Amino acid sequence: MEGIINFANKIFQPLIDLGAAPMMFILLSLIAILMKVKVSKALEGGLKLAIALTGIGAVINILTGNFAPALQDFVKSTGIELTITDVGWAPLATITWGSAYTLFFLFILVIVNLIMLVINKTNTLDVDIFNFWHLSIIGLLVMYYSDNLFIATILVIVLGVMKFINADIMKPTFNDLLNMPDTNPTTTTHLNFMLNPLIMFFDKLFEKFLPFLDKYDFDAAWLNEKIGFWGSKFAIGIYLGAFVGLLGQQPATTIFTLAFIGGVSLELFSIVGTWFISAMEPISQGITDFMSNRLQGRKFNIGIDWPFVAARAEMWAAANILAPIMLGIALILPGNGILPLGGIIAIGLTPALLVVCRGKIIRMILIGTIMIPIFLWSGTVIAPFVTETAASVGAAPAGLEEGALITHSTLEGPVEKFIAILVGKAGADFNFNSILAAFGALGAYILLFIWYIKQMKKRNKEYEVNKQEAA
Amino acid sequence: MIKILAACGAGINSSHQIKTAIEEEMKKRGYTIKVDAVVIKDITEEMMNQYDIFTPISKTKFGFDIKIPVVEAGPILYRIPAMAAPVFNELESVIKKIDK
Repeated sequence: MEGIINFANKIFQPLIDLGAAPMMFILLSLIAILMKVKVSKALEGGLKLAIALTGIGAVINILTGNFAPALQDFVKSTGIELTITDVGWAPLATITWGSAYTLFFLFILVIVNLIMLVINKTNTLDVDIFNFWHLSIIGLLVMYYSDNLFIATILVIVLGVMKFINADIMKPTFNDLLNMPDTNPTTTTHLNFMLNPLIMFFDKLFEKFLPFLDKYDFDAAWLNEKIGFWGSKFAIGIYLGAFVGLLGQQPATTIFTLAFIGGVSLELFSIVGTWFISAMEPISQGITDFMSNRLQGRKFNIGIDWPFVAARAEMWAAANILAPIMLGIALILPGNGILPLGGIIAIGLTPALLVVCRGKIIRMILIGTIMIPIFLWSGTVIAPFVTETAASVGAAPAGLEEGALITHSTLEGPVEKFIAILVGKAGADFNFNSILAAFGALGAYILLFIWYIKQMKKRNKEYEVNKQEAA
Repeated sequence: MIKILAACGAGINSSHQIKTAIEEEMKKRGYTIKVDAVVIKDITEEMMNQYDIFTPISKTKFGFDIKIPVVEAGPILYRIPAMAAPVFNELESVIKKIDK
């Protein structure tokens, strides 16, 4: 293993020295060509990734350049220590795809997926190539603490295997929630659903002690329609800019500037995000062709990105209601350093709530409220790592030297981030206590997951029975 | 020109895949269309009425009735051409009907 890493470093070091955007342009294009993508398509993808990386850096600069000084004043005048800028998911995804290790973790996970399919340990073919960054950022976090690619890879594989199993076990629930016929192969391996076990723990408590609350469930679609554009990206950017400006006692012109910069940044993150998705398109198609060619004659479900569940209005109603709740919690939560902005619509949380609570909206909101501190703490502890990684791929905020930090307030997989940190520390210190902590945390995590799988099997059996009765 | 509305969770990933795939395929089949990709959450009745066809990933419930034809476009996301073909065929037949 050591030899392989040294060899890889020799090849990659000159590439890495070029900087992230040129390096990823070369790597992504080359790999797409290797996956038999047409050369012009492969180059288009590589170039778009370089443009997206550069673009995300520019928008982060606009946002933090304006918000960082105002946040300092906000702290001075309110005494609330929330100095970390929440940039949402698009910059973090771009930054993670700016690391060559992401391609390495992607390669490993594709192999793991194929092996599991061949030996019938999963029934899900994952074609959501873009979202492999969720596990890569966990691997990078382990390496940030330990500089140990080997244990980072092991953790990524363990979590990857669990994600594929989870995609299988959730399939009947998706059929139920979205009225899909059994022939529909749609499922997802998305990391946000790895919070299901913890949510289910609270859901069971709910069922035991507070079942009467379910009768207060309301029509989510109606609520969403009433909220209209007031809950859209640019509107949220405007509120929070104005909020920071007002509480930071800025002059009126600055308050307007902050409000509009907030709106602009959130819109631009999405636009640059689309470049970045289309950058990944050729390689995603190449990998899918590669995998499906090797699975001729095997029937399987297909793992895509989570938004097919976005068709359920409850998911959005919960996100809309949780947004102001999150802001309130952020202001008073000890140990939180984030003022929610880019991640305030918690799409890293509400899909999992929907799947576990199956649309019972009051439960979704209450359990969601319990989950929010975990996200804020996780987002806070990873902020130095995120900021440093952003700097290393050339998307650093301008105020970095003054200690301006960036993060994502509702990044999917908050529990996994803590595990990655513990594993990383254990890899770095290699003493008894830290190793015990890492194994303890990972053990508890896996046990909870096993309990959850059992519950889901019960649920799936009920679906089976109902179907037979109906037939 | 036929205007199509695609939608997904963040208006970034899935909906843009659908947009690109539909635009490419319909151009091949000789139709002039335009696809916009948005966040499901941001769709209002007013917005929906400006389009001719709605192509969500899966069955979607709104606080209003959808008056335009709906073609579920989820299978495009599987990236397997044989599975996407029925979506394109259905879309083509809807476009033909509207074009008359």
